[in-house]
Amino acid sequence: MNKWRGLFLAAVWLGIFLTGSAWAACEKVTIALGSEPTTLDPQIREDGGERAVNDNIYDTVLTRTPEGNLIPHLAAQMPELVSPDTWEVTLRPGIFFHNGEPMDADAVVYSIHRVIDPDFNSEQISFFSTIKEARATGELTLHVITNGPDPILPSRLYWLKVVPPVHSKDPKFAEKPVGTGPYRFVTWQRGQYIDLERNEDYWGTAPRIPSVRYRFIEEPGTRLAGLMAGEFDLITNLLPEFTSHVPRSVNVLGLEHPIIILNADSGITKDLQVRKALNYAVNKMALANGLFEGYAQVAQGQLLSPSFFGYNDEVKAYPYDPDRAKKMIEEAGAKGQTIELIGTSGRWLKDRDMVEAVAGYWEQAGLKVDVRIFEFNEYLNRLFDRKTRADAIFVVSSNELLDADKSFSAYYKAGGVGASNTDQTLASLIDAARSETDEQKRQRLYHQAVQRAYDQAYFVWLLNIEDIYGMSQRLEWPGRVDARLLIQEMACR
Amino acid sequence: MGRFIYRRLVHGLVVILGVTVIVFVVTRMVGDPVQVMLPLESTPEQRAAFEQKLGLDRPIPIQFVEFMGNLVRLDFGESLWQKRPAMDIVFEKLPMTILLTAVGIGFACVMAIPLGIIAALRPGGVVDRVTVFGSLLGLSVPQFWLGLLFIVVFAVQFKILPTSGTGTPAHILLPALTMGLPTLARLVMLVRSSMIDELNRQYVKTSFAKGLPFVRVVGLHALRNAGLPIMTLVGWEVIRSLAGYSVVVETVFAWPGIGLTAIQAIEREDLILIQAIVFTAAVCVVLINIAMDFLYKLIDPRLKLA
Repeated sequence: MNKWRGLFLAAVWLGIFLTGSAWAACEKVTIALGSEPTTLDPQIREDGGERAVNDNIYDTVLTRTPEGNLIPHLAAQMPELVSPDTWEVTLRPGIFFHNGEPMDADAVVYSIHRVIDPDFNSEQISFFSTIKEARATGELTLHVITNGPDPILPSRLYWLKVVPPVHSKDPKFAEKPVGTGPYRFVTWQRGQYIDLERNEDYWGTAPRIPSVRYRFIEEPGTRLAGLMAGEFDLITNLLPEFTSHVPRSVNVLGLEHPIIILNADSGITKDLQVRKALNYAVNKMALANGLFEGYAQVAQGQLLSPSFFGYNDEVKAYPYDPDRAKKMIEEAGAKGQTIELIGTSGRWLKDRDMVEAVAGYWEQAGLKVDVRIFEFNEYLNRLFDRKTRADAIFVVSSNELLDADKSFSAYYKAGGVGASNTDQTLASLIDAARSETDEQKRQRLYHQAVQRAYDQAYFVWLLNIEDIYGMSQRLEWPGRVDARLLIQEMACR
Repeated sequence: MGRFIYRRLVHGLVVILGVTVIVFVVTRMVGDPVQVMLPLESTPEQRAAFEQKLGLDRPIPIQFVEFMGNLVRLDFGESLWQKRPAMDIVFEKLPMTILLTAVGIGFACVMAIPLGIIAALRPGGVVDRVTVFGSLLGLSVPQFWLGLLFIVVFAVQFKILPTSGTGTPAHILLPALTMGLPTLARLVMLVRSSMIDELNRQYVKTSFAKGLPFVRVVGLHALRNAGLPIMTLVGWEVIRSLAGYSVVVETVFAWPGIGLTAIQAIEREDLILIQAIVFTAAVCVVLINIAMDFLYKLIDPRLKLA
């Protein structure tokens, strides 16, 4: 009996010793991601796991401040418009890839051509689709030529990771990435981890954390347990209800907006009064507090976060006014009628809960709500169905370009993949903004578009969800609006 | 004997082929991988171009003929999600699942047989009651919850084992325990009831009366005769672990095996990878069944293989 007790104590002490020693120094930081990268080629996939790792190995032509403002990065200055469809980019001198290849105009031109090549079949093509070609005009200068004027090009260049022209032709490139970034690739044990180490010769601000390990854990409960056990320093997508269990957490207003698309052309929602009533009926604050424990903000009557280009701060959310909603429904003669509300389950955080909560509010306003929760693929069939639009479709829009164009083209503009209106005035505003290269004018066009969609109540704007990260005691990181996990901005206490 | 193997293999091939065809048809009927893979805001033109690149725009009968042609060479094509040959992924992940299953089921067998025998020796006794209660408990606990409970107790509270992942022998303990416990619970009940039956037979009483040693009677004669149903259950549990429990256990413990890969492939509508995994699982099931038939013969030579 004594022998066993001794063994047990030894095991406990060993455990304390092992974890204790891991905590003592901040040599290696461990980050738990929800999914393993499928490749480490930065240009081929639309893959959050890949992005999380490669954001540290590669640099982009432009970058953003943690608050979301575009600033030069590999570029020495912001791109300049030299003709309506041509942007001039000037690069910083003296930057090299980790393998010694020079980062110059040729490398950027090569990277652009690589990602837009139809045969390459990149899943990121929607980010670069307006680019026609690129041409080096000097060792460190190049022209990017677009199909017609493209004011969003700077945002696209924020997405463009520059790859080394020689090494990227190596068939092993997708397993051995080489960039110009603050961290170098060390090893990838598939299914287990990826290790990076600090690039001691980094051209920019020297990174503070010497080495990083990425682990891949799909199950949120297991990620949380790993953080609580001291195995991880940072976990992504912490559930709101668990923030009180972790040593520390950081929350930042993110890029995701749950909304409900209303059919403005037929059915019960054709009546503007009804669409407005559906907005007044929903207590968005209660959704933010009840479902997200306060880790969400009420969307201000637009499909944009304050950090996005085009945000109109004069437009405010429809207030919660159940009596008014009830009255408007009655006046419109819609009382007791049935409205179909389409949603899915398990795709986005609390998707089903939000749909059911909204349905509850609508019922209170005097409607019958036919909630239909579909498996994701079937749900997408309804969302993309151009012929018969459902009365109301729940969707979560995410906008990594932080520019109104992407969200508005998809959901606001008549004929967009998820749009349920045929408002030509609105569509022409969005079209005009898309090719308007004067920033001020473009801003104004979006402000008008936001106002018009708001007045017409084409949507029920719900929330802007915050990203929550769980962190260990020792890690210091303020978070970013664009959800990039830049190790360079992290430090140990 | 040769005739038996021949018949079994033909039988197995029919099963594998049937499963493969069903998976081909069902995956193509229920889902559209292009919809899921591209960002929601992609235009219909971008979707169409992508679909064409993947070859998914061609008529299904043509895809099917090509699929069957490649199947003969065990070539399922490239996984849509991982962009590398699907069979490479399967061969990379399968050993991890086999390892987990072997340790889990091995643990269950090592524990269940002695426990079951001891319980059977004195039905209604203290050991028997505790065993029966314990196995009912083991059967009633959902596996994913059990896994999370183990993590919270052993990894978060006592910090003596890692929460998840692989790499050292310590990493396999919790997932294998989670994998093996339901099996242990079922097996212990079966060993117990089979042994109670056997121990009440005439030949056991005769053997004791002849003065044969206790261990020899119980451990050799009785256990061997009780062996057939036990074998059947173990085989069945191995199959369930490989092609069923692994999904839950591997997800909870981030164990990079075939079960976790299967659930990820399904989430991403990766038709190619789903096919490769289901095919491999079918092959495993058929092989295990054939192996079980041989083991029956080994335990009970009176059985005719047919």
